[in-house]
Amino acid sequence: MPNSDGTVKHLNKDGHPKRFAPCRQACKLAMPVLATLLLMAAFILSGLLTGCRGAAFESTIVVSGSTTLLPIAEVAAQEFQEAHPEYNVLVSGMGTSAGIEAVGLSGTADVGMASRDLRGDELEMDLLEIPVAYDGIAVIVHPSNPVSDLTVEQVRDIFAGNITNWSEVGGEDLPVVIVNRDEASGTRSAFASAVMEDELFEVNSVVLPGTGQVREVVARTPEAIGYISVGFVEPRHVNTIVKALSLNGVEATDENIIDGTYPVSRALHFLTSGVPTGTPLEYIEFVLSEQVQLGAVIDAGFLPVTEQDLAEFRHALGEDN
Amino acid sequence: MGTNLNPNNEQRKTGMQVLKELKEEHKKSDSGLGRAHFNNRVALGVLWGATGVTIGLLAIILIYVSYHGLSVVLQDFPRFIFTWPEGVNAEGGIWPTIIATLYSTGLAMGIATPIAVLAAVYLAEYAKQGKIVKTIRFAADSLASVPSIVMGLFGLAFFVETLGIPLSMLAASLGLSLLMLPIIMRATEEAIRAVPRYIRWGSYGMGATKWQTVSRVVIPTATPRIITGLILALARAIGETAVVFLTMGIAINLPIVPTDSGRSMSVHLYLMAVEGINLPSAYGTAFLLLLIILILNLSARWISKRYSRIEGA
Amino acid sequence: MSEDKNIESVEAGKEGLRTDANPSKKTLTHTPSVAMREFAETAAQREKPPEVRPATKLQLVSRSTQIKEAALASLFFICAFLAVLGVALIFAFVAFRAFPLVTEIGLWDFLTGTTWSVAEGTFGAVPFMLGSLVVVGGSLVIGVPLAVLTAIFMSEVATPRANSIIRPAVELLAGVPSVVVGFFGVVVVVPLVSALVGGAGFGPLTAWIVLSIMIMPTITTLSEDALNSIPMGIREASYAMGATKWQTIWKVVIPAAKIGIIDAAILGMGRAIGETMAVLMVVGNAPQIFAGISAPISTMTSQIVLEMGYSSGTHRTALFGLAAILSLISMSLVLTVRLVSRDQHKKRKKVKKGGVA
Repeated sequence: MPNSDGTVKHLNKDGHPKRFAPCRQACKLAMPVLATLLLMAAFILSGLLTGCRGAAFESTIVVSGSTTLLPIAEVAAQEFQEAHPEYNVLVSGMGTSAGIEAVGLSGTADVGMASRDLRGDELEMDLLEIPVAYDGIAVIVHPSNPVSDLTVEQVRDIFAGNITNWSEVGGEDLPVVIVNRDEASGTRSAFASAVMEDELFEVNSVVLPGTGQVREVVARTPEAIGYISVGFVEPRHVNTIVKALSLNGVEATDENIIDGTYPVSRALHFLTSGVPTGTPLEYIEFVLSEQVQLGAVIDAGFLPVTEQDLAEFRHALGEDN
Repeated sequence: MGTNLNPNNEQRKTGMQVLKELKEEHKKSDSGLGRAHFNNRVALGVLWGATGVTIGLLAIILIYVSYHGLSVVLQDFPRFIFTWPEGVNAEGGIWPTIIATLYSTGLAMGIATPIAVLAAVYLAEYAKQGKIVKTIRFAADSLASVPSIVMGLFGLAFFVETLGIPLSMLAASLGLSLLMLPIIMRATEEAIRAVPRYIRWGSYGMGATKWQTVSRVVIPTATPRIITGLILALARAIGETAVVFLTMGIAINLPIVPTDSGRSMSVHLYLMAVEGINLPSAYGTAFLLLLIILILNLSARWISKRYSRIEGA
Repeated sequence: MSEDKNIESVEAGKEGLRTDANPSKKTLTHTPSVAMREFAETAAQREKPPEVRPATKLQLVSRSTQIKEAALASLFFICAFLAVLGVALIFAFVAFRAFPLVTEIGLWDFLTGTTWSVAEGTFGAVPFMLGSLVVVGGSLVIGVPLAVLTAIFMSEVATPRANSIIRPAVELLAGVPSVVVGFFGVVVVVPLVSALVGGAGFGPLTAWIVLSIMIMPTITTLSEDALNSIPMGIREASYAMGATKWQTIWKVVIPAAKIGIIDAAILGMGRAIGETMAVLMVVGNAPQIFAGISAPISTMTSQIVLEMGYSSGTHRTALFGLAAILSLISMSLVLTVRLVSRDQHKKRKKVKKGGVA
């Protein structure tokens, strides 16, 4: 072979008429590649024609909505399917608003996930709100920041841009760097409704699309302030440290969040159109079971629901039956 | 004709030789040219520096990502590739995202390739130069220049919301095929145009029809180059994030039928990077993504190099 | 070696012809040379007296073949037209979805509004248009000189051996997905910028660095093509007059390749404007007017990704408005390149006439 290559070159330079014989080699090596690629496409297309996935499962339920709840719903779905292989749970995160629409209006989802309270038109959709986890939002600063307690008003003024220097709240003489979440974030809307009241966020703030990034930036920047779910304050896969502030003198502990004395907390809900029945109900009950509540919910950095919530859920079920 | 594809080596060699001779001559008679020589040396230094920066950047990105990613991938070796992400922090492997990536890009290629290749055949062989060809070529250029985010937005609004296709492999691959179409089309057209004319004349001269000439003479000759184009388009689609992010859904799922949703590797990397909870997984994903694209690029190079060596072009 | 195979194949081809009157039905695996010989055979057979048709017109192929040819030609045309259709559909659809802007916000208010606040329901596109402009402009300032210098190095200075390393490297850099570059930006460039200029590290400066990495390969490759297409004779003429290498590059090669380089820069600009993920991850995404190289800003592309998922109503219309602006910009860049290269072609012709003996 190596000889033939040399010969080929020579022939071509001379414009020898036998130019095409070597080309066949090129085609030969190229053909398998093309064949493989086309085979790949054909394999997938055949899936479209022959695959009828519904046949394999007894029933499929669709869960969609807030990305905050996505990890819990996903892990629960996996575990649920392991226990009940005949069911198929499809989870997708599209944001709270889209999830509410999917359950309440279009009916494309059986269970919605909401990380904020219903508002406006959404209240008229006859949706049952089922709390599945609690979340406190911690206001975090760099560990070297001497400030460790702020009032809710001070936090509001900082995020609204009225306080621009840490010295105004008893810290060092450093300009405040605000780290905010994007508007799609459920954390942001929960924080806004609990803290900001009618004030708007300062525009000159870093907007980051993820909890971890907020944490990482605050851990690195001495003049930064941000907010994240309480569950993410303690380091998990990373070794950076942030300091959670106490608000109005109340620390962001589990007890304070569940009993509501910590001022910035929220409940995360599943939504169903009317009272759930059948497979969706089984799935929701599974999410409310100890396996998920003490497993995925805590892993995701949230707090489990209370006995009272469970009692209310059973009440809602029983009342309508 | 594609003549500018092949820099003229013979001419260049002559240039080099001329230059060498000149250099020697200058060395002999180095008198009033000191300033010019100084400038020359400085400028060439700047050129070296700029190239160094460019190549250095590539090296830094590759080395940094590989250094951090390789250890993640190699830890209990095939585990990261072949297991599912587990728990809320997506620990474990990224198997479903690899499958979702291959699935959607493969499907996109299945959609785009026939259309793009046939369209290129039309442009290169059938069309008479004129308004229609100009329009088509302008459209292809525009399609190539449409920002991928607009493509994603269009995919979401048109395929998903208007046509009612769920957020899925199918929706994503329709969006991706729009992205790949102009790339494949251009590569194929160039490949076909690079086929020497006299081959066609030979075919026609023997009484072959146009289709016979195209299907049996032109396309087989152009195949290696077409495949190179296909591979590069595939590499582009595998790395694409914006389109997939808006049209595939983002939940982790192993796709089986095209209407299944899923999360591609690129989207997984994005989410891991911004969530920042599980950076090891992000490094591993980035490394695998780079590796796939590296392999595709190298195989494209290999095919085209081998082809050009054989052709002696 | 291949000679023997050819003969074999031709024999096989003859066999095939006897059984199959319509050669195009056969598989495509034959090599061109074989195919050509086959056709020669076909033609020869057709010329045999019994097969000549009593038609008044000279007809080399049968009617059905002609129909098939025509059908195939129109199939190809339809495929080619799909590209036109695709572009038209994208533009029309984006425009259609953005159109309610005119009544809901007011076109003028949208294009000149300086506040973007979903909570208040005010949607002004200026912060993003300005943001895109700042980010793209800065990255061009960094990226174009580096890229063009690299291209000059590759085309004029480097030995073929050095090029065999540099060229694949540049092509590989072009293939690195934007999300990987963005990830690199987040974990390396952002902390670096934060350490150098203070603040959180998100903002135009970071975006410039990241984006210039993204556009450099595009500009380098295209500029190198432009430089390589300059006839060698021009350079030789310059050297013959005693010019140094740099004098030749600066006074002769660059002016000759100027338009090609400008084209490359415009296409790089198109890439930069449309770039989404990398920018989104490092720019800070604050919908404010440019306020310094380390103050976070937002661009049109990043804002669309960030807010599309949960938008509805007027907000969504406004995002489609941003997409429409983006499409218009990219379209006009394509048009610019076309106009510029039309001039180039004219000049090229002149150069070829005058430059090469």
